[in-house]
Amino acid sequence: MNLRKLPTREFDPLILLTALGLVAYGAALIYSGSLANYGSPSQALSHPVSRQIAFGVIGVLIMLVASRFDYRVLAPLSLSMYVLSLAMLIYVLVAGESEYGSSRWITVAGTQIQPAEIAKVTTVILLAKFLADNEDNIKSARVFATSLAIAAVPAVLVLVEPDLGSSLVFAVLWFAIVVIAGARSLHVGAVLVAAATLAPLAIWQLAHGYQLERFKVWIDPESDPTGAGFNIIQAETSIGSGGFWGKGFTHGTQTQLDYLRTQTTDYVFSVGAEELGFVGAMVLFALFIILLFRCVRVAGRADDAFGRLIAVGVAAFIVFQVFVTIGGNIRLMPVTGVPLPLVSQGGSSLITILAALGILQSILGHRRRRGRA
Amino acid sequence: MGVLAGNRRKRWRSEPQEVADAKRELQLKLWLLRIGILVAFAVLTGQLARLQLVRGDQYQQRAQFNQLRIEPVIPSRGLIYDRNGIPVVENVPGFSAAIVAADVPKERQLEIVGALERMLGVPALETSLKIDAARASNDPFTPLIIKDGLDRDTAFYMREQLGELPGVQVLVQSVRRYPAGEELAHILGYTGRIDSEEYAELKNSGYINSDYLGKAGVEAAYEEYLRGATGQKEIEKDAIGRELRTLGETPSRPGYDLVLSVDLDLQKKVTELTKAAAGDNQAAVVVMDVHTGEVLSLVSLPQYDDNIFSGKTDEVRLEQYLNDPRKPLVNHALAEQYAPGSIFKQITGSAALEEGVANPSTTITSNGFINVPNQYDPSVIYTFRDWRVLGTLDFYGGVAMSSDVYFYYLSGGYHEYGENFDGLGVERLARYARQFGLGRKTGIDIAGEADGVVPDPAWKEETFPGDIWVLGDTYNMGIGQGFLAVTPLQMARVVTAVANGGTLLTPRVVREVRDSQGHVIVPNEPKIEGSVGISDTNLAIVREAMRQAVQWGSANPAQSSLISIAGKTGTAEFGQRFADGSYETHGWFSGFAPADNPQIAITVFLERGVGATHAAPLASKILEYYLTRQQQRADGASATPSGVTP
Repeated sequence: MNLRKLPTREFDPLILLTALGLVAYGAALIYSGSLANYGSPSQALSHPVSRQIAFGVIGVLIMLVASRFDYRVLAPLSLSMYVLSLAMLIYVLVAGESEYGSSRWITVAGTQIQPAEIAKVTTVILLAKFLADNEDNIKSARVFATSLAIAAVPAVLVLVEPDLGSSLVFAVLWFAIVVIAGARSLHVGAVLVAAATLAPLAIWQLAHGYQLERFKVWIDPESDPTGAGFNIIQAETSIGSGGFWGKGFTHGTQTQLDYLRTQTTDYVFSVGAEELGFVGAMVLFALFIILLFRCVRVAGRADDAFGRLIAVGVAAFIVFQVFVTIGGNIRLMPVTGVPLPLVSQGGSSLITILAALGILQSILGHRRRRGRA
Repeated sequence: MGVLAGNRRKRWRSEPQEVADAKRELQLKLWLLRIGILVAFAVLTGQLARLQLVRGDQYQQRAQFNQLRIEPVIPSRGLIYDRNGIPVVENVPGFSAAIVAADVPKERQLEIVGALERMLGVPALETSLKIDAARASNDPFTPLIIKDGLDRDTAFYMREQLGELPGVQVLVQSVRRYPAGEELAHILGYTGRIDSEEYAELKNSGYINSDYLGKAGVEAAYEEYLRGATGQKEIEKDAIGRELRTLGETPSRPGYDLVLSVDLDLQKKVTELTKAAAGDNQAAVVVMDVHTGEVLSLVSLPQYDDNIFSGKTDEVRLEQYLNDPRKPLVNHALAEQYAPGSIFKQITGSAALEEGVANPSTTITSNGFINVPNQYDPSVIYTFRDWRVLGTLDFYGGVAMSSDVYFYYLSGGYHEYGENFDGLGVERLARYARQFGLGRKTGIDIAGEADGVVPDPAWKEETFPGDIWVLGDTYNMGIGQGFLAVTPLQMARVVTAVANGGTLLTPRVVREVRDSQGHVIVPNEPKIEGSVGISDTNLAIVREAMRQAVQWGSANPAQSSLISIAGKTGTAEFGQRFADGSYETHGWFSGFAPADNPQIAITVFLERGVGATHAAPLASKILEYYLTRQQQRADGASATPSGVTP
């Protein structure tokens, strides 16, 4: 009788396993990457690996708890969560802590929080809610423009931090969500054309010297081989010298001798490519592809547009972040400072992504079996 | 199923086609998303394969080049001993802070230069500008010295902080300490940091840009021996330049050790006695072994302390030295030239004997002066004075009493008022002066020698265009005045040649060069430049005349009750003429002992002194000290007879 009202309680173990695999992979690289600067992880709780594992455990617990709750409870909360995350972004701009020329952090109880990472998920949820609510009017210009505005506000806020990479993440997740939601091709096309024309101009205007510098040295790192170009050259050298099999875990000379800098965040992929080689990178890619396909599967199986769009948004921003971070490491594009999802050192990104995957589990598990019982 | 789904089914039924289309479209879009994901990873894989698989070897080389560096191994500098084996230099560790511009992360530069300012007191801006300049140069990898002469505590503290200061290094380099300080500074010289010109010249000989090398004295002259051979090591370095391990090493060869001919004990005694005699004035004393040309002592007053140049230069004391009008940094024994006065009569006398202008019984009468009429206007009479009326003198008396008139005759001749005495003439006099080594460097193994001047008509014409050489110039030259200019070292060589029978030796302060195991690299052999061109018979006459000068003549204040001394005083006029016709004078003494079997020769120069009153007694005390000490040592050792007369 009540069967169709009951949730399926479906849980995708592959999402959990690949996520755990990626976190473990990341923790291993962070361990190796911080050997030069820290002792063994047992020495201190503040060791990056201990912290990363702790954040991973918290994130997985959140995922498991989230999977038990009906994701639909997020719908009424979505606007407040979004507004709260915008408030945090504004706070960062006003009072945030700077590092390497941009302010991205706020410190709460001794932990650095990166609001942009949280805003990515809240924006996905609000966009999903709004477009699901307006499913019937999806082709209207008003709905389309409102969805654009929802993504544009956080995108602009992170752009002025400045964090061009995260800003583009908002653009990409919005694009994926509106396309899947069924927006008019004309509307989407118009935005794409406008973006293509205005983007270079806007970047030039908004981007600080630091972003421009990143762009210039990307084109020609040898112009400043000991300064800004150093990291690019050394990352390329690290990855290239890894070869097929790699130099062995914790045996990468570039990593262990500190030639590679920020080797637990921006350049964490380079550590893996140097020490674990092409083979190790392929394992990493496989984990990501499985995870992403499972996310897309959730979108395909979701009961409603709200769930479907959340799943698509999460998949889109994960794939985009993977592409730009690894692309930055292997010199396909300038380095943006966006974390490699689940792998890079950093609690905000790790926990929010694991939480988002929990929501996806919930979308799977709270479908209602209609018409089949 | 039918019961349950009434409401919904209605909707499904009402828009079946539309819903089905929407579903198909969604599936299509999701497939596109999946393809997009695969394409993204395919692109990444392609570029990754290009880097790792296609160009992997190239990057592997680059990574190795990163990590392995070839570094020079600077050898330990050779040590120096006095002739009796007493060490006169030590190598002590010196600490300095340096920075490698390439290893300083740009974003942390401010923080790092700030930390250096706190630790070392070096202005942050200055360091920052240095780093920027090095970054812009084509060699940002070599360490730049920021501060020399760190004390041990600061150096150790900094070392602990290096992890926080990427690019900063604490260099430990050996620096020189000279235990004898002032007493040997003019001989040993000092070392200093290589300057950019020297580095450009020497970088292919194993020098590094933070290297030390000899800058003055023996340290400079024997640089190639003292330096040793630079080694090489292949080391693994991390990105901030810390050495992790050594992979291979070609060891360096330590520098060779030097044994000075200088006798430290004598050097100290000479310094003490000369200071007492010279007061605040400049002075120079050279004591030489007459057979070998070895310099036993070489003192120049005022002295300086060469330790001020070790590690961090003591700018305050350097400034004092530079502002002292007596020029303590200048070696007055060889870098400055003066009129020799009457000690030059050794040369005029020897030449006159050799040329037959005079013989031991040539008598000339000094009435206290001679007059010479101007050759164009005989009503103008020039008067050339003797230092006093000395009466009739033979050669021994002329030398012993240092009669200027006697030497006017020998040098220029005298053909007035019925007398007809042919002298040497300027050409022959100048030739003999040169044969005695004047007018050029002696070739001693200390840099910075002056040439001196041996004048002749051509020289005068060139130096004072329009002025011709006149008889008076020859007269003045004959008594060591006029244009003649010599260094005390040159005069020490002259008296050495007189004493040893006419061999012109090259003076040396280094006796022998040995390697660190004691094998002789450069043996102790006299360096003979040539002969002065005077027969020993004639030199024996000059030596006897000089013995008499001390026994009963003008050099009598050099008389010693313990040893027999031969010598010649000189009191050279210089500077502006006073109202009474006198001049300021420098005091000279050149002599040797024992008089009948010369072993050592000495030349004393005292600025603003008088030869007989000041220089002669000083020389006597020095010769007495040395020879009695040698006698005591010989008695103490094996009672071997020596040349010392009771």
